[in-house]
Amino acid sequence: MQTEMILISYADLAVLSVLVVLMGGVLWLHGFSHVRQFYWANLRTVLQLSLMGIWLSWVFYAQNPFWVFLVGMVMLFAAGYEIAKRQHYRFARYQTILIGLWSLSLTALVLLVGVLTLIIQPEPWYQPQYAIPLLGMLLGNSMTAIGVGLDNLTRNSKQLKAQIEAQLALGYSAQESMQFVKQQSLHAAMIPVINMLVAAGIVSLPGMMTGQILAGASPMEAVKYQIMIMLLIATSTAAGSLIAVELASRRLFDARSRLQLTVLQKTKD
Amino acid sequence: MSTALLQIEQLSAPGMKMAMDWCLQAGQLWLLFGRSGSGKSQLLKAVADLIPHQGQVFLNGVEAAQIPAPLWRRQVMYFSAETAWWRETVALHFRHPPSEQQLAILGLEPSVLTQPIEQLSSGQKQRLALLRGLAWQPKVLLLDETSANLDPESTQRLEALVKDYLEQQQAAAIWISHDVAQQQRLGGSGFCRDLSPRESALIAAAPSEF
Repeated sequence: MQTEMILISYADLAVLSVLVVLMGGVLWLHGFSHVRQFYWANLRTVLQLSLMGIWLSWVFYAQNPFWVFLVGMVMLFAAGYEIAKRQHYRFARYQTILIGLWSLSLTALVLLVGVLTLIIQPEPWYQPQYAIPLLGMLLGNSMTAIGVGLDNLTRNSKQLKAQIEAQLALGYSAQESMQFVKQQSLHAAMIPVINMLVAAGIVSLPGMMTGQILAGASPMEAVKYQIMIMLLIATSTAAGSLIAVELASRRLFDARSRLQLTVLQKTKD
Repeated sequence: MSTALLQIEQLSAPGMKMAMDWCLQAGQLWLLFGRSGSGKSQLLKAVADLIPHQGQVFLNGVEAAQIPAPLWRRQVMYFSAETAWWRETVALHFRHPPSEQQLAILGLEPSVLTQPIEQLSSGQKQRLALLRGLAWQPKVLLLDETSANLDPESTQRLEALVKDYLEQQQAAAIWISHDVAQQQRLGGSGFCRDLSPRESALIAAAPSEF
């Protein structure tokens, strides 16, 4: 049952924007001091999404693998940058971004190519209508998990230095001594994903499924797609966090298995 | 002369004012004292290869760099002044739990093993940390103020345990201490080393042998 999607006109959006302007006024009357930021945030949403729409229409139309690849790379690097931005301690020499990029590309990118070529199989396999939204959902979730995992790992290594070094002194290997810190970091990284999986369909109606239903897809078909996405997200966040935590904890030790926290730099807050 | 158990040559680490040479024979207990901030702990950490350093350390003629770091630290073991614990109960930190007899020698009840770490006093933790390390049968003990938080009686029990261990295992120890009575008790029978003002103040006398 594929029904035609009801289209929204630009005039409709203009009416909605008047509502936002009015709400800004009401907030101001109630002493809200950040009305200007509220307007600016709304404006940014409109501009960013419009640009995205223009850019994507063009990429979809062009059907050129090079442009799809380019969009994918921009998204990947933006995700890597976001991971580094969320850290209290960063590894010297851009190692945090590198760890982020490695763990994202080994999981989200590999899974995306796998699911496009083996499961969905659009013609051609890189068809941007499938590739780009899927990549966005995988990257967005992996990015959050990896960011939380790395932040937790580096902060705890600083804080629990004595506990790590006590184990080193007893003759445990670097990775054995880090085990308890790594466990905590993985736990912190995976909690948001687990919460999302648990809430899906009861508390929250996932955005992609909502979109497909609005676009006229049958709910059961939309649900199948959503389940696929959720399973992919679960896999990619788990694998991404594991890889990132492993890569980062190796960089905290030198060749003689000494904890070297000097590789971490405090980010300015 | 037989080769020394532990030979330290021109060892220096950040925080130490000059390089040290030292030679420890099996069965010896050395006391190390000197002003706070003179680099005593840094010296011991460098010997255990826990911090970057210059110079060489040999155990029975084998240089530290020639064997994997964890293996070295298991034989040349550093016991920090502040003990650290990373699991919930004491017993989980042990390779194999200490016997009731071992605990009794140090004046500890067997029930400490199942207690949560945060319920233990720092003196209890210091004694347990010593047992935790001795379970691995290290050849050299590097004791960083291991009796700092103990009452006089417990201190003497601890000293007796360490002396027995060194004798039985033919091991050696360097013990950092600020306790004058301890310096007289242990140092009187043997060797102490004090970082002199030139050595950034490590007094050096000689170790005790049994």
